[in-house]
Amino acid sequence: MLQKKICMLGGFAVGKTSLVRRFVQSIFSENYLTTVGVKIDKKSVAFPDKTVDLILWDLAGEDDIGSFRVSYVRGATGLVLVVDGTRPATLAVALTLRERCEAEFGAMPFILLFNKSDLADRWAIPEGEIDELKQRGWQVYLTSALSGEHVDDAFHQLASMVAK
Amino acid sequence: MSSLPKEVRSWIYDFFSNERFAAYLKIDGRQCIKSKGGNLDFYGLSSLRIGEPVSQQLEFMEGLLPCPELPFHMPMMELPGGHVADLHFFGDGDSVWLVFLDATPERNHQQRLQQKAYEMTLLQERERQLNAELQSTNEALRDSQEGLSREYRRAESLLLNILPASIAERLKADEQIADNHAEVSVLFADIVGFTERARSVGATTTLAILNYFFRAADLLSEQHGCEKIKTIGDCVMAVAGLPVARSDHAQALANYALELREAARRERFAGEPLSLRIGIHSGPIVAGVIGKRRFVYDLWGDTVNLAARIQKAAQPDEIRVSDATHELLGPDFACDPLGETELRGTGRVRMWRLRG
Repeated sequence: MLQKKICMLGGFAVGKTSLVRRFVQSIFSENYLTTVGVKIDKKSVAFPDKTVDLILWDLAGEDDIGSFRVSYVRGATGLVLVVDGTRPATLAVALTLRERCEAEFGAMPFILLFNKSDLADRWAIPEGEIDELKQRGWQVYLTSALSGEHVDDAFHQLASMVAK
Repeated sequence: MSSLPKEVRSWIYDFFSNERFAAYLKIDGRQCIKSKGGNLDFYGLSSLRIGEPVSQQLEFMEGLLPCPELPFHMPMMELPGGHVADLHFFGDGDSVWLVFLDATPERNHQQRLQQKAYEMTLLQERERQLNAELQSTNEALRDSQEGLSREYRRAESLLLNILPASIAERLKADEQIADNHAEVSVLFADIVGFTERARSVGATTTLAILNYFFRAADLLSEQHGCEKIKTIGDCVMAVAGLPVARSDHAQALANYALELREAARRERFAGEPLSLRIGIHSGPIVAGVIGKRRFVYDLWGDTVNLAARIQKAAQPDEIRVSDATHELLGPDFACDPLGETELRGTGRVRMWRLRG
């Protein structure tokens, strides 16, 4: 059985918990409930030749990056970096969290999600900035936990990356 | 620890055991569960199987062992049963102990506080965003308002260049403009020998001549309360008594003519001054605007035609006025009689030369 630990990383209220709920249970709630500590969920992703069980660690988002407990990430084989597309400052938070994890545990596969793509009129990330990140060879997705847009695609991509 | 009395040690044991629902697992070097105990029931973990790999039974254990940094503390993990535990790992030979301590009330308490703080922060961020949007919308609005009024002022000044102000106002109010004016004086003035001169001095000087002459005609019309109606080639047409009637229209236009002639004499082009031929006549006319997109304010009537013919009959440097104008001028203006002259289409007309 192939089982992989994945950590959800990002600032507070960017939609980490909602993305996990959308991916694992196909539901979405408008109510914001902040995560404290960590909650674990599991979802199997099937490929023609194998099945990967993703163990998703939904970590608390921090407004203060310094208080992030990097030890939660021990044993992870992949990261989901989540950015709130209506709050540009959350991009730097996600990238800094990744750096801290890599400094502690070395480089690992990750995907970068610009979430809340349903809020088109409040969208605050220029297309050029997203293109620039894609040109680094990063896997970047515009997701909506509300509508489900690109959520499965993104997690499947990460599953295939960590299953190699 | 040795300094703690028995009673305190006992109290601590009871507290963690009963209040924080202490439970434990012992995990061997093959990462299988070696033993288990305490309040595992409380966490919904009583069915864990001894001797089997721990990460197959507890998903959060995936990847955690072997752990190089023991003891190791992982706070506030929500377990599948809904309880939240602080996890404490510590080593024992090649085995690892894992202790569960209930942290559900503490997590819930922190969550309530954190929730309020984050919601407040989100509201503040949103408020800042909305304020920034409002500001940029306001700036855009102000810019376009300024642009609009700039355009308006430009259109206004263009209109004023080709129409008298009061006529422009009425035109903007969509009025049809065709007014009868019983008493006005009409002037024509052109440059003597302009065509030949233009040929000999070249385009640039020709343009300078026209520019000078028409500018003088414009400026003087403002000074004397006359209106320059139009130019035709090198000929200027001006009127006094329009659009507001005035009883001294003949005098105003005569003064205008004298100064226009002076202005022409003053300036030299290729060494030569300008010499004008000026004619004035007074009487009734019709004034109006024709055209819808391109406006032309113009005058019509016999008075206009006669003024033009008088001008054509004038000598170089001469200001020639009709009998009607001469009568209106009165004793303040010196005039020489020219007798009766035959004018094309009009017959014999008595005319005067205005001296000053």
